[in-house]
Amino acid sequence: MSFQLKKVSYKYSPEAPQVLKNINIDIQEKKVTAIVGPSGCGKSTLVSILSGVIPTLLTKGELSGHFHAGEDVVISVVSQTPENQLFGYGVEDAIAFGVENMGLNSQEIHSRVESVLDLLHIQHLRKRAVSTLSGGQRQAVCIASVLAMRPDLVIMDEPVSSLDPRGKQMIQSVLNDLKGSGQTTVIVDNNLDWSADIVDHVVGMDHGEVVFDGSKEEFFAQFAVQKRLGVIVPQEVEIFGELSKIIPGLKPFSTLEGAVEHIQEHLTHKQSTTSTQERGNEHSDSILSVHDLSKSFQDGFQALKQINTGFEKGKVISILGQNGSGKTTLVKHLNGLYRPTEGTITYKGAETTNRSVAEISRDIILVFQHPEHMLFEENVYKELTFCARAQGIPFSEKEAREVLEKYDLLKDQDELPVNLSMGKKHLLTILSVLFSSAEVIILDEPTLGMDLHLRNYLEEIIRDLKSKGKTVIVISHEIPLVFKISDQLLILDHAEKLDEGSKQELAGEETLFNKITIDLPPVVKLSRKLGLNRLACTVDELKDMILPLVDSAQSNRSEAIGGTDIG
Amino acid sequence: MLTVHKAIDQKLLGAQTLGDFLQYVDLNTYLHRLDPRTKFLFFIIMSILTSFVKSGVALLFLFLVFLAIWLVGRIGQYMLVLLDKIKVLLLFIFLLWLVLGIFTINEGPVLFRTAFSIFGHPFVVSLEAFDFYKGAVYALRIFLMISAFYTVILTTNFSQIILGLRSWKVPYAIAFGVGLVFQIIPMIVQEFATIMEAQKSRGLEVDKCSTFAKLKNYVIVSLPLLFRVLSKGHAISLAMHYYKLNFKVQRTAYKMIKATSSDLFFSAVTVLATVVTIVLQVHYYIPI
Repeated sequence: MSFQLKKVSYKYSPEAPQVLKNINIDIQEKKVTAIVGPSGCGKSTLVSILSGVIPTLLTKGELSGHFHAGEDVVISVVSQTPENQLFGYGVEDAIAFGVENMGLNSQEIHSRVESVLDLLHIQHLRKRAVSTLSGGQRQAVCIASVLAMRPDLVIMDEPVSSLDPRGKQMIQSVLNDLKGSGQTTVIVDNNLDWSADIVDHVVGMDHGEVVFDGSKEEFFAQFAVQKRLGVIVPQEVEIFGELSKIIPGLKPFSTLEGAVEHIQEHLTHKQSTTSTQERGNEHSDSILSVHDLSKSFQDGFQALKQINTGFEKGKVISILGQNGSGKTTLVKHLNGLYRPTEGTITYKGAETTNRSVAEISRDIILVFQHPEHMLFEENVYKELTFCARAQGIPFSEKEAREVLEKYDLLKDQDELPVNLSMGKKHLLTILSVLFSSAEVIILDEPTLGMDLHLRNYLEEIIRDLKSKGKTVIVISHEIPLVFKISDQLLILDHAEKLDEGSKQELAGEETLFNKITIDLPPVVKLSRKLGLNRLACTVDELKDMILPLVDSAQSNRSEAIGGTDIG
Repeated sequence: MLTVHKAIDQKLLGAQTLGDFLQYVDLNTYLHRLDPRTKFLFFIIMSILTSFVKSGVALLFLFLVFLAIWLVGRIGQYMLVLLDKIKVLLLFIFLLWLVLGIFTINEGPVLFRTAFSIFGHPFVVSLEAFDFYKGAVYALRIFLMISAFYTVILTTNFSQIILGLRSWKVPYAIAFGVGLVFQIIPMIVQEFATIMEAQKSRGLEVDKCSTFAKLKNYVIVSLPLLFRVLSKGHAISLAMHYYKLNFKVQRTAYKMIKATSSDLFFSAVTVLATVVTIVLQVHYYIPI
């Protein structure tokens, strides 16, 4: 069954601006359609219309055009926060909830529960309590509970946004199985990096209008559209976008294998061996040091074991590891939220043990993963300057307004912060630390809810902090971004430090990344497969390394033409 | 891969610590396996019993029965957490009845007695051993009342609570609402703790400051908590729509509950304990 929206327009009240304008979309049967677009483009409103929330629950808006699914058609949604969607203590209870609401007989309910447990390969979870599941497992159970209702259309709203790499892999596998079963699916997410192998069809929205409607391949060839919509694409697509500017006639690719095949055709000067960088001395100039840190919680769970590390002044250090590896526990020790069971933390040589968290925040500040835990001022301007006021740091109004203007928040300065989009809320909490006296800034999953535009701002903020000599510690599951912004990496696994070093040093340690089941960025893998003389950590580095290896006449010609969209 | 999963699971299971309050403890004991209705019945009988029994001996007997139940349910350590949380309340009740008792003259050993007059009105202050007995009886009654409820909450998850209420013909909207409350309370407690951590991390002083400043800062934190709770409420109402929850439509159930011989035995123990308590109340009651 396909679903068609014809000339759909919507506004939340007669006085409100038009949120959707004359939308025409054909959601194809048994295909996976991705709806992409920047924050505020109308994606969420579209989901509300497709799922029937508009006009069933939100009745005051003005809806025109045609979309009528029919009474017997089941359309269901998997949200980005499964804990708000799962009703039931146990996994079986949660999966059965929707089917029970449909009034089916007991035998049919049992049969459907069994069938989704088998389909998603989660039989082993059936006797578990929902509260004990990992993020990925919880999302898989959420998908199962929706599928048990045998929906004609499943809509997934940023289903992996808060998952670690392992959780993402689990959901990718679940979605692949779903696609194989012929389920019609819509994924609403501005990040196509994780779903590139699954998606068939892409609909791009901007300012309430459809600005792109085509196949995934067509979308990946339209660099200007990707940029306009702020869509995060697989790094292979970004590599193609950059290399096509210096290699004329380079065939499009969106996978690593395709990249190797097509780039090699154009390399005239081959290199055969990739040398990995020598390991250097560690922590020559640590501003913040961790000595023999161990942490055991009240229930006996050991979250950290004998951690020794240091964070250098003026560097960006990323902490990598799966959920449960000890990353968050470690940073909560750095800012004093947790007290060590054993070991010490020293800042500029002095122990932090006897200082309160608020006192430590003058030197070491932690920005939490969910901005809503931090925002409480009545407007954006006050929120921006909260840290400065809490810590008694002088600031000028002019300076604050300049920051708001630079990061496109000036028009929202009188807005209630919680009313901003998730990405902007996150940006605001990060910007507020610019007005603090802290020399060490810790960002826990700073990309949550951010589209490409906001990520570019984030990169700018981190570069700016670094240029001022501040130390930035980042916890992120976005590995290509980590390799782009970091100087050093610290890898944790099962509460222990597995390794640390510069990103160039660790990029050569393939077995290390295999051990923690985190994929190295495509750019690193590609430079190894192409046999480049060193490993590139960013797309720009790769471009610089490939440039001398291609026919100079060709590359000059291409540079003169400039990179253009394909197709 | 399995080892990694095990570690994460351990971490998540570790999230349920003794510090967590008012939430189900996932164990497989005799008490946990009982039909929720049997435990509801226990709660109702014990609530009624503790609201009229005022004999110290009877209450002490009831306390021993509770103790045995907690040992069987392996929830003794969680009851100690409860005791820790309500110790101020219990102390207040004890002192309240002690102070009230000072102004009445009772029989029994006198610890301190004096008389004086204020504006010509004579007053007698008399502290007897009986005042301590009275304070202890009232504190124990309140503790048993709360623990009867807590015993059920610790051993019955919210899905079982809903099933139990439904089997007693409680309308689904009410049963679902009760279950939802017990699902959401731990979430809100967790949210509050995270918000406190987040605000402290950005410079809000709640450790080294005066009680007034501390109180003021706690009030400040309530705003993001309110937003989070509203946002959760919104997400939950959307999810109810996605799952086609309609209280006017007859629902069916995946799981059925059925009383077994264990329930019969537990009910018999409850009734026996009730009878013994009433007998003790009749024989050992001292008017207070």
